[in-house]
Amino acid sequence: MNDPRQISAQTEKALDSNDIKIRARDVQVYYGDNHAIKDVDVDILDKTVTAFIGPSGCGKSTFLRCINRMNDTIDIARIEGEILLDGQDIYDPSIDPVQLRAKVGMVFQKPNPFPKSIYDNIAYGPRIHGLARNRAELDEIVEKSLRRGAIWDEVKDRLDAPGTSLSGGQQQRLCIARAVATEPEVLLMDEPCSALDPIATAQVEELIDELRARYSVVIVTHSMQQAARVSQRTAFFHLGNLVEYGLTSDIFTNPRDSRTESYITGRIG
Amino acid sequence: MSDKAHIASAFDRDLETIQALIMKMGGLVEAAIMDAARSLENRDEDLADQVRRNDKLIDAMEEEINAEAVRVIALRAPMGSDLRLVLSVIKISANLERVGDYAKNMGKRTSALVQMEQIEGAGGALRRMSKAVEQMLRDVLDAYIQGDAALAEDVRQRDADVDQMYTALFRQFVTYMIEDPRNITSCMHLHFIAKNIERMGDHVTSIAEQVVFMVTGELPDEDRSKGDRTSYDRLTGDL
Repeated sequence: MNDPRQISAQTEKALDSNDIKIRARDVQVYYGDNHAIKDVDVDILDKTVTAFIGPSGCGKSTFLRCINRMNDTIDIARIEGEILLDGQDIYDPSIDPVQLRAKVGMVFQKPNPFPKSIYDNIAYGPRIHGLARNRAELDEIVEKSLRRGAIWDEVKDRLDAPGTSLSGGQQQRLCIARAVATEPEVLLMDEPCSALDPIATAQVEELIDELRARYSVVIVTHSMQQAARVSQRTAFFHLGNLVEYGLTSDIFTNPRDSRTESYITGRIG
Repeated sequence: MSDKAHIASAFDRDLETIQALIMKMGGLVEAAIMDAARSLENRDEDLADQVRRNDKLIDAMEEEINAEAVRVIALRAPMGSDLRLVLSVIKISANLERVGDYAKNMGKRTSALVQMEQIEGAGGALRRMSKAVEQMLRDVLDAYIQGDAALAEDVRQRDADVDQMYTALFRQFVTYMIEDPRNITSCMHLHFIAKNIERMGDHVTSIAEQVVFMVTGELPDEDRSKGDRTSYDRLTGDL
């Protein structure tokens, strides 16, 4: 028998990856005249949960939305610099944003299931991307996704019920299951737990921890406790700058920048 | 260390409470060291008894500080320098409690020594050694409350002086014992007292390391010179 203490110490580290999934260089975002993101350089790792923290208006959500080109839908938004996914520029004219968003899934603050059945919520993405050849394959994708969303056991007997009939926490896990149904490589989460109660939050956090075995997860959160609990890397944004980026354990015990220190200890808002 | 106030002012009050408790406990321990040393030099049994009784207060303060620290961790989830402060408080209170125990032990041995023949000069030498440790403790508590890593580092270096005093006394007591075996019982007591004061110095040094950690986020390197050479010297060498 191995020493059980050593096993538990290893399992957390065993997942750690140093492969760069997303590389951002000199990223600037403007909303009209407003310079919202300034000179952001960051390497986001594969199979890692990266938390973006910072006060409201610091640019963390704006930067998150750059990673799957959600800002394209905002007319006055202008993006400069380079964001590479596996070495490929996602703003290259040859890139189809719809295809990109299948690879870079997103989960929002408020659960937003389609006004359709639980089954169709999951099946929608795989259908339009042609991921299933027949009903049996689609069934398989739906079950697999709901299992990855840690909600299969709760909904398997009522797949025809509307997604909106679920509780808030279940709806959010349904949305996560929907996001993973298209076999993405990156999952972006914009405050996924802020509308959930503590139990549902714990379930989603547990799910995020499971998801990191397969995906690169980037989560924007206002809860520093949540960032500390779920992430391995943390980036602190302030006034559009990426002030500090490093191991979560370092950021929360011994940050290098006084602005990070002030923010995490509750001294600036 | 950030000197800006928290947005939640109750958090500041919690941290100030803990700081005040540490300073109060430190004051009790400083007094215990000097009272124990004075009782030994003046063969004052009443004062020695008082030191022994007062140790209960010091022990109770350690419990109180730890309970406060646990409460702050549970309710405030401190981070960054706040987290380091709370962690260091738990360790510092444990170190202070040990120093208090050594002072109490000095009181006990003083009660025994009062019944024996006095060893010339030993009380004064041990008081000077106690004074050096008490001064280190005083400075390290100042360093703690002011977040002064440089002063803490200075205290850390001064432990070598205490170690040297101990080594000198060790040789002196061995000499007395060789000269006259009737001195052995009292010299053994006096030696344990010297060793205990030397250990107090180590605990104060450990507090200094905690202060450096609290301020800088990193423990200091282990590059201090070791003044205590008794474990390397041959006991029957050229004493």
